[in-house]
Amino acid sequence: MLEIRDLSVFYGQHRAVEEVSVTVSRGEIVVMLGANGAGKSSVLRAAAGLLPVMNNAAILMDGRDISHCPADEFVEAGIALVPEDRAIFADLTVLENLKLGAYPKRARQKERENLENVMSLFPKLEERRRQKVRSMSGGEQQMVAIGRAMMSAPAILLLDEPSLGLSPLLCGELFRSLAVIRSAEIGILLVEQNAKRGLAIADRGYVLENGRVTGSESSEILSSDERVRKAYLGGD
Amino acid sequence: MDILIGGILLGGTYVLMALGLQLQYGVARIMNLANGEILVAGAFGAFWFYSGFQANPFLALIVIVPLAFILNWGIYRYLLSPLVRRAKSRGQLEVDSILATFGLSFIFVGLMLAVFGGEYFSYGYLERAVIVLEQPYGLNRIAAFCASAALCIALVLWLNHTRSGLALRAVAVNPTAASLVAIKVARTSALAFAIGGAVTASGGALLSMFLTFDASIGVIFTLKALIIVILGGVGEIRGTIVAAFMLGLAETAVASLIDPGLTLAAAYLLFIVILLVRPQGLFGSRS
Repeated sequence: MLEIRDLSVFYGQHRAVEEVSVTVSRGEIVVMLGANGAGKSSVLRAAAGLLPVMNNAAILMDGRDISHCPADEFVEAGIALVPEDRAIFADLTVLENLKLGAYPKRARQKERENLENVMSLFPKLEERRRQKVRSMSGGEQQMVAIGRAMMSAPAILLLDEPSLGLSPLLCGELFRSLAVIRSAEIGILLVEQNAKRGLAIADRGYVLENGRVTGSESSEILSSDERVRKAYLGGD
Repeated sequence: MDILIGGILLGGTYVLMALGLQLQYGVARIMNLANGEILVAGAFGAFWFYSGFQANPFLALIVIVPLAFILNWGIYRYLLSPLVRRAKSRGQLEVDSILATFGLSFIFVGLMLAVFGGEYFSYGYLERAVIVLEQPYGLNRIAAFCASAALCIALVLWLNHTRSGLALRAVAVNPTAASLVAIKVARTSALAFAIGGAVTASGGALLSMFLTFDASIGVIFTLKALIIVILGGVGEIRGTIVAAFMLGLAETAVASLIDPGLTLAAAYLLFIVILLVRPQGLFGSRS
């Protein structure tokens, strides 16, 4: 289980995230809702070890405090981030990207098995294995990004706006693959602009407003919550 | 025909020094202006082994390569990594590292002047003519070319077919993404810088087999390596190899057809044309 406790993130004087606590367990999808600038991406970046953790905050993976470890140890602990810009290796091939995903020591032994799993999850990648990622479409690049994260044998997957820029068709495909990933006992923390889709697939959700958690409920309750409907579901 | 073969022989030895700078600039993001001095140090090393112990330059490599590796690792660790940690952007790191390594190059020149003195050095190893297509070429040039090619092939195979080589390329392409797959970016950069230095020094040792050099000639090789790296595209191994041969051919052609004094001018003309027409290099992708 990933546990984020009382996390605050500052950019200079500006406090982007204020004492946010979030947990994600294996085998569940947790969605984070919030307007632009509510601090969702900052929470994910901190949870991947890319931001310094300050004050009394802590990030624990299966009970072990990894707050002050470098980013590579977050990956070794089982946390894989797919950031909003996807952070793929554009000049390398699909296969090289996926191989790099298995660079963490925890992933090396099962590299072959994980590669087969990723290829069956995203058959397009199998066809394009020798292609440079730069020349691929946005949807295919997103598959590479998620596939690469899966190659590191994560316990928890952090996804920042994975559906951004995808057609509705690809978007549906993407969300179906998230359900498959969940069934493999991997936990997913999802930041999603498409709140309707996000809530439809998620088990639980958090609402972030101005850097604070203002709601934490099951998806059903959030979907029927008047405030959430108004703010994120286009209210009706 | 003799221009073609002469150019290829020269370009083949340029490949090594340029790959060294490519590793330092492309992966570790350090534009190392002391690169040429490392090359000259390699040349002095080979000279010293040859004149002192009658050891041939290939044997000298066994000592030169690890020494250059350690020296460059130390330079990165103690001089450059504070700059890397401090830099807020790639541009700032570039300016800082250019200034720091420019200063470093003078320290190296001074040290080599103090140890070896200011005269020109050369030695006669394998100074026999070999006839290729009815034209004589120095056996030392051919041997240096073969050794350089062997080292390049080994380096490229390592970069393309091993996990550690792939990690190096990953850092070159996208350091943030590299840290997301648990690559230790700082350590990998130090490794790339050290290997780059070792490759450049071995290039110097091989060049010394047929080139006359002195303690202050390094800057010319820094500039040549720079031209090749920019010409081929930063981070582009294939581009570097092609560009090194282009420079070798261009220099040989100008030297034999026009005037030997114009070789450096010709190299720069090539460089400026590329900068104007295709700033990302022949093989580089626009980013």
